[in-house]
Amino acid sequence: MTPIDGDTIVARATARGIAAIAMIRLSGPDALDIAQNCFSGTDLSAKESHTAHVGFMQSVLKNDLDQVVVTIFRAPKTVTGENVVEITCHGGELVSHRILDAIIQAGARPAEPGEFTQRAFLNGKMDLAQAEAVSELIHSGSRRAHTISLAHLKGSYSVLLHDLREEMLDMCGFIELELDFAEEDVEFADKARLSDLLERTKALLKRLIESYRYGAVVRDGIRIVLAGRPNAGKSTLLNALVGFDRAIVSEIPGTTRDEIGEEAEYEGIRLRFMDTAGLRKSGDEIESEGVRRAEASIRKADVLMYVYDATIGLEEEEREFLDDLKKNESDLHIFVVRNKCDLLDGETAVDGEHSLSALRAMNDESLVIPLLSDIVKSVEEDDSYGEGSYVVTNERHRYHLGEAYEAIVSAMNGLSADMTGEVIALDLRLAMKELGAITGATATEEILDRIFSRFCIGK
Amino acid sequence: MSKYFDYDIIVVGAGHAGSEAAAAAARIGARTLLITMNLEAIGKMSCNPAIGGIGKGQIAREIDALGGIMGRITDYAGIQFRMLNKKKGPAVWSPRAQCDRQLYAQGVRRELESIEKLYMRADTVTEILVTEGCVQGVRTQLGREYSAGAVILTSGTFMNGTIHIGEKQFGGGRMGEKASSGVTASLQEMGFESGRLKTGTPPRVDGRTIDYQSVEEQPGDPEASPFSFMTDALPKKQRCCWLTYTNATVHDILRTGFDRSPMFVGRIQGQGPRYCPSIEDKIDRFADKDRHQLFLEPEGWHTEEVYVNGFSTSLPEETQSEALRSVAGLENVHMLRPGYAIEYDYFPPYQVRYSLETKRVDRLYFAGQINGTTGYEEAAAQGIMAGINAARSLKDLPPIVLSRSEAYIGVLIDDLVAKGTDEPYRMFTSRAEHRILLRQDNSDSRLTPLGRDIGLVDDERMKRFDERQEAIRQTRINVESATISPEVINDYLASVGTSSIEQPEKLTKLAVRPQVSLKNIIDYAKLREEIVVEGPGLEAVETLVEIELKYAGYVKREQALVAQMVKLDSFPIPRNIDFSRLDHIAMEAREKLNKIQPESIGQASRISGVSPADISVLMVMLKKRQLGSHAD
Ligand SMILES: Cc1cc2nc3c(=O)[nH]c(=O)nc-3n(C[C@H](O)[C@H](O)[C@H](O)COP(=O)(O)OP(=O)(O)OC[C@H]3O[C@@H](n4cnc5c(N)ncnc54)[C@H](O)[C@@H]3O)c2cc1C
Ligand SMILES: Nc1nc2c(ncn2[C@@H]2O[C@H](COP(=O)(O)OP(=O)(O)OP(=O)(O)O)[C@@H](O)[C@H]2O)c(=O)[nH]1
Ligand SMILES: [Mg+2]
Repeated sequence: MTPIDGDTIVARATARGIAAIAMIRLSGPDALDIAQNCFSGTDLSAKESHTAHVGFMQSVLKNDLDQVVVTIFRAPKTVTGENVVEITCHGGELVSHRILDAIIQAGARPAEPGEFTQRAFLNGKMDLAQAEAVSELIHSGSRRAHTISLAHLKGSYSVLLHDLREEMLDMCGFIELELDFAEEDVEFADKARLSDLLERTKALLKRLIESYRYGAVVRDGIRIVLAGRPNAGKSTLLNALVGFDRAIVSEIPGTTRDEIGEEAEYEGIRLRFMDTAGLRKSGDEIESEGVRRAEASIRKADVLMYVYDATIGLEEEEREFLDDLKKNESDLHIFVVRNKCDLLDGETAVDGEHSLSALRAMNDESLVIPLLSDIVKSVEEDDSYGEGSYVVTNERHRYHLGEAYEAIVSAMNGLSADMTGEVIALDLRLAMKELGAITGATATEEILDRIFSRFCIGK
Repeated sequence: MSKYFDYDIIVVGAGHAGSEAAAAAARIGARTLLITMNLEAIGKMSCNPAIGGIGKGQIAREIDALGGIMGRITDYAGIQFRMLNKKKGPAVWSPRAQCDRQLYAQGVRRELESIEKLYMRADTVTEILVTEGCVQGVRTQLGREYSAGAVILTSGTFMNGTIHIGEKQFGGGRMGEKASSGVTASLQEMGFESGRLKTGTPPRVDGRTIDYQSVEEQPGDPEASPFSFMTDALPKKQRCCWLTYTNATVHDILRTGFDRSPMFVGRIQGQGPRYCPSIEDKIDRFADKDRHQLFLEPEGWHTEEVYVNGFSTSLPEETQSEALRSVAGLENVHMLRPGYAIEYDYFPPYQVRYSLETKRVDRLYFAGQINGTTGYEEAAAQGIMAGINAARSLKDLPPIVLSRSEAYIGVLIDDLVAKGTDEPYRMFTSRAEHRILLRQDNSDSRLTPLGRDIGLVDDERMKRFDERQEAIRQTRINVESATISPEVINDYLASVGTSSIEQPEKLTKLAVRPQVSLKNIIDYAKLREEIVVEGPGLEAVETLVEIELKYAGYVKREQALVAQMVKLDSFPIPRNIDFSRLDHIAMEAREKLNKIQPESIGQASRISGVSPADISVLMVMLKKRQLGSHAD
């Protein structure tokens, strides 16, 4: 994490969370080239410093991610003293997240804590008085980011990382054993054993990397839109879910017009609710706009909670609407809530729907728990992350795991191409180095320790 | 020099470190006095009469490439030569030679005697003389004082050496030689920290009592590789070694001596090397292993003395002898000398700089075993560097510091200085992260030009070097332009199990295939005369070209990594910084930094317990100091 690496770093410059806009900043010699690779607008290299350009950010597959403003700053008159690019995109975690991903894929490295400030300082962009502040920032930043040791990582994620590190140490041990102790009377790992170890390591890495998608849920929360006919009880349900009177409730259909967002937490996962205007054809211009927005929100959501009044039932038109969504929005999880069950005679249930009373739930939180737990479960599962316990949430960790994965794949290729041990060891060392960026570096001593503790070496 | 000294440099001890140090210093032009306890023991191999081995062979070749003596003497005294790891890639090929112990020592002495300005003296140094933090000379047992501009201490295992055999325990620096005392105390008084380490050696037996029918023969390589770039021919005749194994009975007998083992009952406090365990350690720690390999190695051309490699022990003599007699082939063996363990003083190496000059006393240098290493090659490597740097310091020239990407010698010294060691340190190829660059085959191109600049490479060696480089260059050009047609080579390709070619193919394309050997293609296609330009030195020129070709991609990758490190290494840390006052650095890191006092950011980054975040903070603080001093 030193500025003299000469690489290009990237990070979100605005705080996480919901805001109208978010800003992503790159700094380093290749900042412009990397931004250009993800940018469909004008040719940035031809543009002057300190100019802004509108265009679309694109993923590696050249899908548009968001319309953005890209501002370029050429060294040395920039905040860090290096080439800097600032990308202003729409607020929201998902968007900025995808853009970050694209930029990392294009060759930038996620910044270490305090790294922008550090670069600024070392390039003489800050005065003396700020030096203390900078080192403090790095200090506390690195602590916050838990980069130093495994012990700082919580839960089974750290267990998995630990396992991974053990496997890698074993592998390095086996390879080095053969290189440094060829004359010894010990049994060396055969090719099958090695490729088995490599496979296992690769699988562990893959699991961690894939958990990152689910990690997005932990990090960014689940966006849940409440929609349904006017008066179905959406606002009442929202209030019950968040535990206080957030939205106005009335018996007049069409009460809610602007979208109302509120957050709650369930089992450590952020739930981001959005109450919307009741869906119906309306002559009222404001209400129609509300409906239009509600429909747009549904398309951006992770979960749709479709609320209907049990005393009225689900109308044909509503069914068609839901079927359409199911067909076209494959990523959307739909939960149908059969509300106002307190008004029915006797407890009847409908398969595949959640029957409840939002009114009662206002005074008894436990009534919404089954619904919440189903939602969280289905989103986690959908992220192909059944156990849901190994979660990489940190971009930087994801990045290093990804690099380690590449190195392991390269080692496997080397092994199957009959390359000799010292060449395979190069890849393994690289993989260890990447893992070390998360778990703390590995010293050669550790590998040797392993060899000496397992094998009888020496004359 | 303003002051008059008896000598420019005094080297204390004529082991492997001292011999290289004295030779280097004198050849650079310093009037050098080599004081050693016993002139008959100059260049003596305390333990196994073998030079090289994995990781160590590379060092020996580097010493030779710099103009040192070890490689040439090994070629002179070798009785069996092998290239270890030949089945692996060239980065880990390692030369090893079994030597004639007496011939080796004799060779070293003759070499030293041939150097102008190198003077010898048999005596024991008892005190290092220092005034105002700068070395002045030494005092000896015979009551003499010798003054010098610099002193290099290379006293090996001799300082307060204690020998253990079973329950017997006595002072000694090596079997049959006295220990030296006084020096440790005089250094401790100046504030140096010392520690104890331990090592051991196996028994020697009479070859006439070995049953050679029941042991396996281990011949040397038919085409032996020399250690020195100056060697044109090695002896055709070689002696072979033999292989045998311990067994359950041997282990049982050894166990009967455990209650009198100085190791197990705790009489030995010093830490021993884990990669060189005693036989009792092996059977104790790896109880499930029912046999251990033993090499029977002759000690010379004209002696029946045989070294029992793998049987290092400090058990009682009777136990050693009885156990040996249960080994296949040794049923009637007569033991000439028992194995023993030795404990000795060392100075934890964080106390020296990269030049090997001590941090505490100017112009005092430590080299060899006293810096916590073990092995002749490790000692010699430090010796030559200390000799070079002491001589340079007297001429006010900056020290020569080899980097980790330049030489194993650089890895060795960096490991010692940056990380320290609390067990005897031995080189392994895995310690060298850039080992693909640090091959035994290219040590000359890595180091000979530097040796020339330093003044250790004479005209003859330089001429050979230039000729060899030119031969390699020409051969490379020829290889690169050559094309091979299918009918000439397809049979060969099939024979090594790789796909045939349809059309004429560039030779370089074929040579990078893992299964293929360039040398074999050249011979198979009868292209030797056309392609290979012969140069001096024993190793085939085309092998070098092939190694370069096969490794090209990896070498490039490594060089990129090296470039990063070089930048960090060139970020200096001023001397005498009080790291404990840097609040934002983790406590553990502060303590380590204060103790080690790193000379560069690169060194600091290699200290265990110092995190990347600590390094960032450190850089910021240094920058702040810099800005601050400009502002003043
Ligand atoms: C029992 C034993 C077992 C060993 N086993 C192994 C092994 O298995 N593998 C391996 O690689 N290495 C082994 N070694 C280590 C190897 O011998 C040393 O690493 C190497 O010789 C160190 O070289 P040196 O130059 O530092 O010291 P040494 O070779 O020990 O030479 C020291 C020299 O200094 C002289 N001297 C000491 N003090 C004074 C003084 N005060 N005044 C004047 N002269 C002095 C001595 O006379 C001697 O000539 C062993 C050593 C011993 C003793
Ligand atoms: N009995 C009963 N009444 C409910 C329940 N949930 C909501 N209501 C009532 O139904 C009426 C409408 O509730 P709201 O929560 O405002 O409905 P809405 O879906 O937000 O309506 P719009 O904002 O107009 O689209 C209110 O009078 C609520 O008190 C319920 O579970 N049981
Ligand atoms: Mg409402």
